[in-house]
Amino acid sequence: MSNYRFDRLRVLVVDDNQHMRKLVATILRGFGVVQLYEAASAEQAWAMLRESNPDVILLDCILEGMSGLELAQKIRTSPASPNPLVSIVMLTGDTHIDRVRQARDAGINEFLAKPVSVKGLLTRLSAVIENPRPFVRTAEYFGPCRRRRNYNEYQGPERRTKPAVSAGLVGSDAA
Amino acid sequence: MNKTPIEIFTPPNMLKAKLGGTVVGLDMAAIARAEAALESIKSEFADWIGTDVARLIECRDAFAAGPDSGGRGALYRTSHDLKGQALTYEFPLVARIAKSLCRLLEESEAAPLGLVDAHVDAVRVVVRDNVRDESNPTAVALAGELEARVTELLAE
Repeated sequence: MSNYRFDRLRVLVVDDNQHMRKLVATILRGFGVVQLYEAASAEQAWAMLRESNPDVILLDCILEGMSGLELAQKIRTSPASPNPLVSIVMLTGDTHIDRVRQARDAGINEFLAKPVSVKGLLTRLSAVIENPRPFVRTAEYFGPCRRRRNYNEYQGPERRTKPAVSAGLVGSDAA
Repeated sequence: MNKTPIEIFTPPNMLKAKLGGTVVGLDMAAIARAEAALESIKSEFADWIGTDVARLIECRDAFAAGPDSGGRGALYRTSHDLKGQALTYEFPLVARIAKSLCRLLEESEAAPLGLVDAHVDAVRVVVRDNVRDESNPTAVALAGELEARVTELLAE
């Protein structure tokens, strides 16, 4: 068993659906998390980042206004970001490969498909605790290494094109 | 090819230092506690899905009001929520129908109101009649028909 001191973990849950926030918060409290913060939008989450100082952000992908992808990228790259290295787990009902790539290119650490399960959430939390990825800085990307393995093998020039993070999701009217 | 060099660095694992723990599989006691906590709120799920369906109907009305109403985005977000959560609420066919509605809204330039309405009505009826059985023949046939109509529309 892993017996983490979850009472020391600070988690920010960002989801515009209050039921989803309650569901995730209930599971986290079951794990033993007590330092829980909730935000109903990406804008609210951004505003409370400095004060809440989370170790992990559980971030919904589809949000009104600023999307989860945009928030993730802002946290990684904005000069005003209080913690560009914070662990971000993206929650989404859409597991299409394009979405996964978008999330990866926005700088998220882990991806958790809805419906959220107890085991799935604990697995992702364990992943960011036990196997944090190295960070990569290129001209067009800053965030966790987007490869699963052999992080340090590649020594050549940057090959990836500009990340395709956009507000092009149907769910982001205002972006 | 872009010749910009890449920088790779490994920050100290502060999270591991903070939380401790050993790395032999998942903490089954934590899983059991969380499952129990989830069980304790299960009685609320019927109300939750009822609220989500009411929200879906509101969004449908906004969508029907016209393309500039912002209703399409709201409708997509609400159906996306249902797609992700209805399974947790033990309404698998709602998740399936919501998935079809998401596909319609995402991939069709002008989602026909009639087909949107058919999805919204199907979700409403499945919840109203408390159809939780994934193999309910009438509901399965309805979901399949909706999916087929969306596929047909997108193929045009």
